[in-house]
Amino acid sequence: MTAFEPNRRRIIAGTAAAAGAMAFGFGRASAQAGAPIVLGGSIPLTGVFAFAGIGIHAGIQDYLKILNDGGGIKGRPVKYVAEDTAYKVDASVAAFNKINSQEKVSLYYGDSTGFAKTINSELDRRGTMIMAGASFATELNDPKKYPLQFMAGPDYTEMFGILLRYIAKEKPGARVAFVYSDTEFGRDPIVLGEALAKELKLAVVEKIVTPPGSVDVSTEVLKLRRANPDFTIFHGYVLAPIPEFITQAKQMGMRSAFMGTFWTMDNSTVQRMGDAAEGFMGVMPYRYYYDRDGSAPMLDRIRQMRPDYQSTGYLQGFVTAMLLTEAAKRTLDAGKDLTGPNLKAGLNSIKDFDTGGLFGVPISIPGNSVPVGRIYRFDAKAKQMQPASDWIKL
Amino acid sequence: MRIGTLKTSYAADEALFDTALQRGLLVALLVAAVVFPFVASPYWLFLACLCAINVASATGLNLLTGYTGLVSLGQAAFMSVGAYTVAVLEIRLGTPFALNLLIGAGLAAAIGILVGIPSLRVKGLYLAIATIAASVILHFLFSHWTLTGEARGLSMPPARLFGIAIDQPFSLYWLIMPVTMLMVLGAANLLRTRIGRAFIAVRDRDISAEVLGIPLLRTKLTSFAISSFYAGLAGGLWAYFFRVVTPESFPLDNSIFYLAAIIVGGMGTILGGILGAVFMTLVPELLKFGANWLTPIYPDALSALAPVRTIVFGALIVGFLIFEPRGLVEIWVRIRRFFHLWPFRT
Repeated sequence: MTAFEPNRRRIIAGTAAAAGAMAFGFGRASAQAGAPIVLGGSIPLTGVFAFAGIGIHAGIQDYLKILNDGGGIKGRPVKYVAEDTAYKVDASVAAFNKINSQEKVSLYYGDSTGFAKTINSELDRRGTMIMAGASFATELNDPKKYPLQFMAGPDYTEMFGILLRYIAKEKPGARVAFVYSDTEFGRDPIVLGEALAKELKLAVVEKIVTPPGSVDVSTEVLKLRRANPDFTIFHGYVLAPIPEFITQAKQMGMRSAFMGTFWTMDNSTVQRMGDAAEGFMGVMPYRYYYDRDGSAPMLDRIRQMRPDYQSTGYLQGFVTAMLLTEAAKRTLDAGKDLTGPNLKAGLNSIKDFDTGGLFGVPISIPGNSVPVGRIYRFDAKAKQMQPASDWIKL
Repeated sequence: MRIGTLKTSYAADEALFDTALQRGLLVALLVAAVVFPFVASPYWLFLACLCAINVASATGLNLLTGYTGLVSLGQAAFMSVGAYTVAVLEIRLGTPFALNLLIGAGLAAAIGILVGIPSLRVKGLYLAIATIAASVILHFLFSHWTLTGEARGLSMPPARLFGIAIDQPFSLYWLIMPVTMLMVLGAANLLRTRIGRAFIAVRDRDISAEVLGIPLLRTKLTSFAISSFYAGLAGGLWAYFFRVVTPESFPLDNSIFYLAAIIVGGMGTILGGILGAVFMTLVPELLKFGANWLTPIYPDALSALAPVRTIVFGALIVGFLIFEPRGLVEIWVRIRRFFHLWPFRT
C-alpha cells in the first residue's frame, strides 16, 4: 500500500478541484436562490371567453406583483409567461409547448376543460408542474385521474350542491328546475345535481336543455311555467338566454327564484340582464370586489391597486395565482424540489388557509377543489350582488 | 429562359415533377422535412403537425370544392367521424392505429356519400346549407350517444408502434407528416386520372360534362367520398394528436376555416390548399411573436396587442382576397414565371 504523498502537482490539482466544486456548488446555490419560478398561462385574451380572460390575466399579474414586491417565494421571484389562446384547444396546447420550450415552468394556468383534459397526460408525463385554470368541470375534480390538476373553487357539481343546500334550508321540499346548455359545460352537474336534490328531499320538477346562447326560448319558458318550480337554476351559459328566460317567465306571472353558477355571476354581467336581474341569485366562491363585510385585507389591497370594479374573472385569476404560488412556497419550505407531485402535496397541505378574505372562510384543499361558496342576490337599488347566505362549506 | 420541356418518353410525359429543378426542390423539401424534427423545439414540431393535419383536410376539401365545384361546410363534421371512430376503436378494441385510421376514413367516406346525395339537385349555397345540416345531425349524434361519450367526449390512449407510444410531437411528426405527404401526392395524381379530369369537367360546366358522357351523380359522390375520406383520415390523425375528442372539438368554425384556407391559398390547385392551410394555421401564431418582442419595452404588450392581432389577421385575409384573388399560389406562380422568362419580363 502506498501512502499518500503530497506533491506540488497533487496540491494544485486538489485545490483546483475544490475550487471548482465550490464554484459549482455556490453557483448552483445562487442560481437556485435567485432563479425565478415560472407561472405559465394559456390565457383567452381574445375569443368567446375574453370577457373573463382579460380579468384573469390582470388578476394573475396583480397577485404576482404583490408577491414579488414582498420578496417573492424564499427570495425567488415568480415570473409570469402567458400566451393568448382565443379559447381554442389547439392554440392552448401550442402556447403550452411554446412556453415550456422557453422556460422551466412549475405552475400553469389553463383556459378550458378541453385543454385541461388534453394536456393532463402530458403534465403527468413531465411531472414538473401543477395546473389550475378557468375550468370547474366535475370530471377534473378527481385526484386519481388528474393528479396534478386543481381548481380554485368548487366544481360545478359542488356549486349545485351549495345552491341546493341553500334552497333546502330556505324552503324544505322545494320544487327545483334545471335549465342548462347542450354542451359539456352545461351538462356537467345535471346528473349528480339531481341525485343530490333527491338526497336533500327537493323535487326536480323539470330539466330543460337549450342550445348555448339561444335567443328564442318561448317554448322552453312555457314548459318551465307548467312545471312551476320554486327555484330555477341556470347552468352552462354566461348571459344569453338567461335574461330572455327570466323576462318571459316574469311576464307569465311565474314566482320562481332564478339562480346561476360562477361564470354568470360577475356583477356587470348580471347588470346587463336589465330588469330581469332583480332578485337573481347565484353561487360565488369569492367575495365581490366591493364587499365590505368581514375582514378582507387582500380585497383592500386590490382596491388600492385598482380603484375601479374588478370582475369575478379577475378575482379567479388572483386567487388561482395565490394558491399556485402558495403550493410552491410550501414545497420549498419543506426543502423539496419543485416537481409536480411535490407541488401538489404542498397544495394539498393547505388547511384552514386565510386568503386575505377573498374566500369568506379559511380554506382547505384536500383534493382538487375548494368546495366553498356563498349565495348572492342582486339588489337592483344598489346595482350590486349582495350576500344572501353565510359561507357554505361542503 | 426556359423555352420548352422536351419529353422523349411516355414515362417523362407522365412524371408529376417534370423538370430537374422541380425534382431538386422536392429532394430539398424532403431532406428539410427529415432534418426538421431533430432541430426544432416541441413547439415548432407541434405547429408542423397541426399544419400537416390541416393541409390534409384542406386538400380533401379542395378536391370537392376547388376541383369539383361543390361547396361544403361539412369538412369538420367529416373529420369528427374519423376522430370518433379512431377513438372508439382505440379505446374499445385496441386495434392497430393504421387500421383505425383507415376505418375512420372509410366511415367518413361512406357518410360523405350520404351527405353528397343532395348534390345532384342542389348547388352552391344550397349545398353548403345541406352540408351544415348534416354537420348538425352528426354533432347531435356524437353529443348524445353513449358510445361517443356524450357531451364529455372520449379520452383515448396514444397510438402505439411495436409497443412504443406515439405521444410526443417528435414521434407524432413521423406519423402525421408522411401520411399527409402521401395524401397530397395521392390528390395530385388523382387529378391526372379520368376521375380527376371528370371532377374538373363537372366544376367547369356540369351539363357539358354530362353530354360528354361523365355520370354526374357518380362523379359528385366520388368527389364527396374522396374528400370525406381525406377529412376522416385528417380527423383520425387529429384524434391521435390531441387524444381527447369531444363534440366541441370540431365546430362549424373549423369547416369555415378549411374553406377560408383553400380560398386564401388558391382554389383548384394542390399547392393552393397547402399554402392556405399553412397560412391560416401559422399566421395567428407568428403574429403572437410581435407581442413577445415588444414585451421588454412594453410589459403588457400581450393583452394590449391581443385584439390588434385578430384584426391584423382578418385584414391580411381580406387584403389577400383583394390583391391576390387567385390566392397565395398565384404569388408562387409569378415567381416561377419570372425565373422561367428571365432575363425577359412578362
